[in-house]
Amino acid sequence: MHPARYLRTTNFRLTALYAALFGVSSLIVFGVVYWMVADAFDKQKTLLVEAELSVLEQEFRVGREFELTREINQRLASGKHPYSYYLLQDVDGQKLAGNLPAMTPFDGWRRVPAPYPAVAEIGGDPTEQTAHTGLIRGKFLADGIFVVAGISSYQSDESKEAIRSAFFWAVGVVLALAVGGGLILSGSFLHRIEEINRTANAINNGDLSERIRTSGTNDEMDRLASNLNAMLDQIQMLMESLQQVSSNIAHDLRKPLGRLRQNLEATRQSRMSIEDYETVINTAISDADGILATFSSLLRIAQIEAGMRRSSFRPIDLSQIFQNVAEAYVPVAEDAGKKINVDIAPGLMIDGDRELLAQLLANLADNALTHTPPGTAIRIGLIHSRMGPVGTVSDNGPGIPAQERDQIFGRFYRLETSRTTPGNGLGLALVKAVADLHGASISVIDNCPGIIFEIRFKTSD
Amino acid sequence: MKILFIEDDTDMATYVVKGLREHGHVVDHAPNGRDGLYLAAGETYDVLIVDRMLPELDGIGIVKTVRGAGVQTPVLFLTALDGVDDRVAGLNAGGDDYLVKPFAFDELHARLKALARRPGTSQAETSLRVGDLELDLLKRTVRRGGSRIDLLPQELKLLEYLMRHADEVVTRTMILENVWDFHFDPRTTVVETHVSRLRKKVDATFDHPLIHTVRGSGYSIHASG
Repeated sequence: MHPARYLRTTNFRLTALYAALFGVSSLIVFGVVYWMVADAFDKQKTLLVEAELSVLEQEFRVGREFELTREINQRLASGKHPYSYYLLQDVDGQKLAGNLPAMTPFDGWRRVPAPYPAVAEIGGDPTEQTAHTGLIRGKFLADGIFVVAGISSYQSDESKEAIRSAFFWAVGVVLALAVGGGLILSGSFLHRIEEINRTANAINNGDLSERIRTSGTNDEMDRLASNLNAMLDQIQMLMESLQQVSSNIAHDLRKPLGRLRQNLEATRQSRMSIEDYETVINTAISDADGILATFSSLLRIAQIEAGMRRSSFRPIDLSQIFQNVAEAYVPVAEDAGKKINVDIAPGLMIDGDRELLAQLLANLADNALTHTPPGTAIRIGLIHSRMGPVGTVSDNGPGIPAQERDQIFGRFYRLETSRTTPGNGLGLALVKAVADLHGASISVIDNCPGIIFEIRFKTSD
Repeated sequence: MKILFIEDDTDMATYVVKGLREHGHVVDHAPNGRDGLYLAAGETYDVLIVDRMLPELDGIGIVKTVRGAGVQTPVLFLTALDGVDDRVAGLNAGGDDYLVKPFAFDELHARLKALARRPGTSQAETSLRVGDLELDLLKRTVRRGGSRIDLLPQELKLLEYLMRHADEVVTRTMILENVWDFHFDPRTTVVETHVSRLRKKVDATFDHPLIHTVRGSGYSIHASG
């Protein structure tokens, strides 16, 4: 993988953004803290120098310049005040004691280059010019005696330096962690994206059975992968059913087309009367109509499955549709020596497509009439339930073997026992498609004997 | 009848135009939407046959424009085999009937005649009469030769539809659509069964039947044999 790809990942960019934000805010915090510390150091130094000076004044009052000289020398010799500066001058400007060079007397505060870094006392080179400064306070004592007390910035400079370096180390480590973490995160992210890409490529190359591996952590990438896998399952299933359907179509249409062709060819070879020709042509037209009807049903099912008609859903009176279809079929059943009992609760409404729901019920009624022997009792019912209307079409005919009940809704599926009865094997496929379109569930239940088709509709909201 | 046929499929157009002329109709054929609209707007026709899918201007567009210009000529849409949704769209645009291609010529012809005859005054009618058969539209009762005939609601609806198109041929699909609102072909003999029951009640006890079967096309109700 090219390194630049890491830098382009969302993870890495987010990490970089957070690192930058952290850096800026740390810098601000550092600035404030540094400024406050520096200020506190200055105040502390001022207080220290004032205190030293008042001690020196005390000594002067006790024993004049002699006592003060002794005191300063003692202080310098003791090594207890390594960062302190002292100077004592007489009225002529002669240096009496101290570690500062003689200077023009003044009254007040001054900042001077630190000439003798008191570092001499702690092992440094006394002649070394350092960046440190001394804060000194000069004061005239009685009779032109001039005294200076001061303190080197060494200690506070060292402390400030320590704060600075601690800060830069901390920020540096955090930034390094952020960048490293970002790289690791984007690496694992990219790795999993690569896994998806690899699967997609395999599928593009024709291997529909390929699936994305999941890490088993059930994180969002895993959920994405499972969703994609579920989608691939669906696609694979659709592809397989499409293949199945295509070969079924080819098979189911070849038969009637072959018969049509055969009849026409036989007619061409024989000498017949005009009336016979008419009969052959009528048969041919009705064969062609049958083939067209099959096509039409297939296209209709495909369109219903595509769900386009949902846009034309309206609140409709399901009871009225059931009543209308049932009334249309009652005399048909009677003529066929069967009986349809109708039991429909009035006024049940759903959101749906009137035309398609009528066809759904008509197909179930057709089905019950076509596949049962004379004497069969058929029942068309519609009742209210808490979940919504429940429609049933049941009969006490030969029924459907349990192991075939799942398959009857497939296109062109025909029971072995009904191969000889008319029909194209698409009626129940359309029933299923219409039920699905309406969010209704359809189930096939054993009526012992016979079969119950039960459709559970959803009430319109 | 004077008919305008807007259709880009020349094989089908030739076949239909020839058939309609043989039945004594005057037919203009427009091979595309623009010419069709030009003719429909300029000439007066008894009925328009409009294909849904046309080059330059589609059928819906033509009918909307024509209706917008106040032309009330009945329109029959022709739709493709897979146009499940086309019917509603066509009717919404101002079409009066539709037929799915490919169709039987007799089906087209029967529907054209039914369309062209559509009376604007049917609301005012209170009864329908064919020979000695009378249907009272207000009381929903049927009498023939003075004696009352009891019909079930769907039989009455079927008889009313036949009588409204007396002396014309109505096809099986026209009956399915108009009596039951079935826009599909049931596998069982719904139409035949109901017509046969209606016949038993209306014709069985009389010498001359009123309901006739037109072979290969459908049914017709008329008084003279």
